[in-house]
Amino acid sequence: MKNHQPVFRVVKREGAGPGRQVLAYVAAVVLALAAGAVLLQVQGVDPLTFYRQMLTMGIPGSRYPWRAVENFIKLFVPLLIVSLALALAFKMRFWNIGGEGQFMMGAFWAAFVAMKLGDRLPQPAVVLIMALCGALGGGLYGMFVAALKVKWGTNETLLTLMLNYVAIYFLQFFAETKGEWNFFLDPESARPKFAKFPEGAQMITIPIGPFRLNLSLVAALVLCALIFLYLNYTKRGYEIAVVGDSPSTARYAGMKVGRIVIRTIFLSAALIGLAGAFHVSSAGVMSASPTNDVGWTGVVVAWLAKLNTAGILVAALLITVLQFGCQTASAAYPSIDANFANLLQGVILFIVLAADFFTRFQLVWTRKEAAK
Amino acid sequence: MNDPINVATLFLFNIVLVNIPLLYGTVGEIVVEKSGSLNLGVEGTMAVGAIFGYLAGCMSNSLLVGLLTSFLAAGLCGLLFAVLTVSLQANQNVTGLTITTFGLGLYFFIGKGLGEKWPAMTGVPALMDGFAALEIPLLSRLPVLGKVFFSQNLLVYLGVAVAVLVWWYLNFTKTGLRLRAVGENPGAADSVGVNILLYKYLHLMAGSGIMGLGGFYMALNMSGSFEGSNCWINGYGWIAIALVIFANWNPVLAILGTLVFGFFNTLQIYSGALAGAFAGPLGWLSAVPPQLYKALPFIITAIVLVATSIRAREGSGQPAALGLNYFREER
Repeated sequence: MKNHQPVFRVVKREGAGPGRQVLAYVAAVVLALAAGAVLLQVQGVDPLTFYRQMLTMGIPGSRYPWRAVENFIKLFVPLLIVSLALALAFKMRFWNIGGEGQFMMGAFWAAFVAMKLGDRLPQPAVVLIMALCGALGGGLYGMFVAALKVKWGTNETLLTLMLNYVAIYFLQFFAETKGEWNFFLDPESARPKFAKFPEGAQMITIPIGPFRLNLSLVAALVLCALIFLYLNYTKRGYEIAVVGDSPSTARYAGMKVGRIVIRTIFLSAALIGLAGAFHVSSAGVMSASPTNDVGWTGVVVAWLAKLNTAGILVAALLITVLQFGCQTASAAYPSIDANFANLLQGVILFIVLAADFFTRFQLVWTRKEAAK
Repeated sequence: MNDPINVATLFLFNIVLVNIPLLYGTVGEIVVEKSGSLNLGVEGTMAVGAIFGYLAGCMSNSLLVGLLTSFLAAGLCGLLFAVLTVSLQANQNVTGLTITTFGLGLYFFIGKGLGEKWPAMTGVPALMDGFAALEIPLLSRLPVLGKVFFSQNLLVYLGVAVAVLVWWYLNFTKTGLRLRAVGENPGAADSVGVNILLYKYLHLMAGSGIMGLGGFYMALNMSGSFEGSNCWINGYGWIAIALVIFANWNPVLAILGTLVFGFFNTLQIYSGALAGAFAGPLGWLSAVPPQLYKALPFIITAIVLVATSIRAREGSGQPAALGLNYFREER
């Protein structure tokens, strides 16, 4: 029988340097923009003009440049927090794709507090309670899945996916049902419509000249630093790394794996809920679809950043520029809409996923090996 | 108009008409998952199949060209998934989600870009005729059932045929059995000489192609009208992923599952009419919030998911190696 020897075989690469990765990312962004340019040209849109408008995000030359920055921050903060939170779960190979649902639950409970306490307590107290209740609501919604996974090995990917939809229709119910009991809605409006939050439930802003700094940005950056410390310098953070590497090693070392998983997923989902609370508080009104797909985009960001905390900060910024930029730039063109950002985002991630292979593995030519 | 029998018949008829794309999506995802891959890109794959299939169908004035194009375009999404996850060992969840993001982005980009040039389905006789009701002789004259099951369009019958065919393929052919071995234990299948790479590639592409047919169906069912804000697929791809679990990875059970899910899906639209027509026994239907009907398929699936995990793996059709990449050197 003839022996078919493959020309090469694939082996894991030992200790790849960061240089290769950075190169891969730059290449991915450039290639995606180039592919996008071709598509724009086909649509009869000048790519250079479009990209310039996209990258400047309509800030220079605007009558209210600070307003654009404020809106940018409102998009950036939820994405940053959700990505950080998802990375915590992914580090343990817990595939939490329920970010959307946990975010909505966080937003819901925060809105609940806002409508009930908004005009009774001082603003800092209301915002704080909203944040706590949002975090608790999101956290419990995620922890419930972690508990089932630990106890019975339920598939968390599929279960968190289902719970997203349960949350969507739960919110829709409150958004669309008029009734005496439904204090979320605006009583003045004939059609069901969410009422604006009382003044006291709006996110605190710090005026710096004409610019109003959203306090949630400060909170998000502090969280970013805290998570970095937690993961790298605490026992609990170390436990996450060990469990992610090998649950059996962790068990052998005497760690209570189940408890670690449940605790970490609660933390992850609670952060996502917190992001939901921040979002509605910054918007000043509840919405039936508050997430802006942040639960999905967060997966992209976390993955682009290789679950690295500092990397997430950069990747979240990049993706927000892409999304916010496309939103502003496309306003001038009837043939393009904000979804163009999704297209670019998809291409970037495809290239990064493919390039990852060459940083993780290497090809060994079999013939050369045989000659040795 | 308000004749109870008529209302009930129309309700049942629409359960089938509106929800058959779920069957295509589910059967496609079953083929994919039986090869051991969890592809979360169903929504995006269906969107790509839908828009390319519809446009090709309009340009060629042919139903067949539309069907084939949607199969091929969606199959290419499957190829992309296969290259990334099988050959390049990328994470399946992330790759699948990216296919959804990318597919929807492409869908809106093409639709928006065409703008005024968007072809209307009414100007394409082949698609209009192809999607018109095809009455099966004799059977279609049965009371109620004739209208519900035997006066549907060609693509409804095709969907059921595909489901039965895939069921037969998975259970009674040599390649089908080998495919299941690949999904259960790729290492073992590899060691007895099954070409894992070829099996994964082919089935990821074929499964995605079947999803694409479902997308094409949805395009026709929406009369091919493009709306800037809503995609035709409208979450059906995600429901299909749920339905795979509900049907326990069995294509024939998927037919039943489609009807069950479709029942709730359609009930939210017809609850008012049904409550009016059967005021006595069904009057309470209109009091149930419609959002509950929409959420029920997902709630049921979540319960099924938890219940099967409690009962351990006995009798579950979930492939053992689902979601795990196969790396030969680690066998």
